[in-house]
Amino acid sequence: MVRLNDLHESEAEHLRARAAAMPEMQVERWLTPRPLAESTVAIVSTAGLHRRDDPPFTLGALDYRLLPGDVDFGDVILSHVSANFDRSAFQQDPNIMFPLDRLRELRDAGEIGEVANWHYSFMGAMPDPSRFDETGTEVGRLLAADGVDVALLIPV
Amino acid sequence: MATTSISLVREQTERLRPPRALWVPFALGRPLGSSADPEFQKDVMRTAFGLLDTATEPTIADYPIEAPDEAGPGVWACPLNLAPAEATSLGDRLLGEVARLRPWAIETRRERGRTLFGASGAGPDDIDEVARAMAHIAESGDVYTSPPSEVAWRHPMPLLIRHLADDLRSVYHEGLAGQPGPGAPNHDALNDWIFGGTALGEVFLRVADHLSEADDGMARLVRGLLIPEGHYHGGRAFPETKEFGADSEKEDER
Repeated sequence: MVRLNDLHESEAEHLRARAAAMPEMQVERWLTPRPLAESTVAIVSTAGLHRRDDPPFTLGALDYRLLPGDVDFGDVILSHVSANFDRSAFQQDPNIMFPLDRLRELRDAGEIGEVANWHYSFMGAMPDPSRFDETGTEVGRLLAADGVDVALLIPV
Repeated sequence: MATTSISLVREQTERLRPPRALWVPFALGRPLGSSADPEFQKDVMRTAFGLLDTATEPTIADYPIEAPDEAGPGVWACPLNLAPAEATSLGDRLLGEVARLRPWAIETRRERGRTLFGASGAGPDDIDEVARAMAHIAESGDVYTSPPSEVAWRHPMPLLIRHLADDLRSVYHEGLAGQPGPGAPNHDALNDWIFGGTALGEVFLRVADHLSEADDGMARLVRGLLIPEGHYHGGRAFPETKEFGADSEKEDER
């Protein structure tokens, strides 16, 4: 249902304008990972998720929060600012935004190799994604250092 | 390290051209499509992971299955009568509503073992404190001074208003989830309910008026973040994209 024509006209117009203003990005180097069944997988979310005691995200935040692979969903809240998605689905089941239980099940079934030790959360709603260059590159380095083969990027 | 991604707004993904993206026909806030349907969620993930084997250049694939339906406007109705018998002020009416929803919200928390309430800085039991703070802002019209409270708020004004609203909506969502009744309401049904007759919606709209009257870029931006698109009489929620970016930079400097 996030076909823009299904949204309120103003919101659809806003999201189209956002798209048009975004810089075109280039893939610098094409990487082919090892087989998924041997890969360590991490989640990178832009839902503004963090642990309850973490500093909340500020408006226009470019930083990130760490979510450990054994985090308890009872300790996870979000401070994303958008009013155009409601939090009821996440309240019902956090996996709908941050599918850590599903990753564990895929690991137990042998479909992925391992669940990463650390996962990452940013706050989205940033008109110019290139402003994440610095912290995004840093998170890439941290994921690689943690032995992550595949990052699953999930918006909200 | 390779990436594969979920895409909700296809137009933005087309612009950014990530290596591998799976566009999904789901609502904002529901990137895996369905709550409490693990097999559906895993099928979405497997399809996104499958692009690691098949894509040899930047690729956007379309997920072919619609999300299971939630109850939309006209299908879902709140089973509680929230109108208090005697209330003299908007703030009293809000506190009355919250009092009626609280037992159900607590039941939901007990069942789930968690709550999303607390983004403002309030503790899980500070429901009335948050309601009183929001009512104070609505009735005083002051969108710049943190409302008096024992709570150590975690955001400056006026941005705090956005997170107070989220905490109150969390209580209302939890209150609904604890009650017997038809399937979970979707985004539109929830907003129609909140802005179509609850004291909470009335409080939000009054605060939005104060934010609009403040004649300040940040206050106007918070107004856009407070009321979902289509539910405010005073025009579109968001300023132009350029203006949004400028406001974000200002916030960074604070």
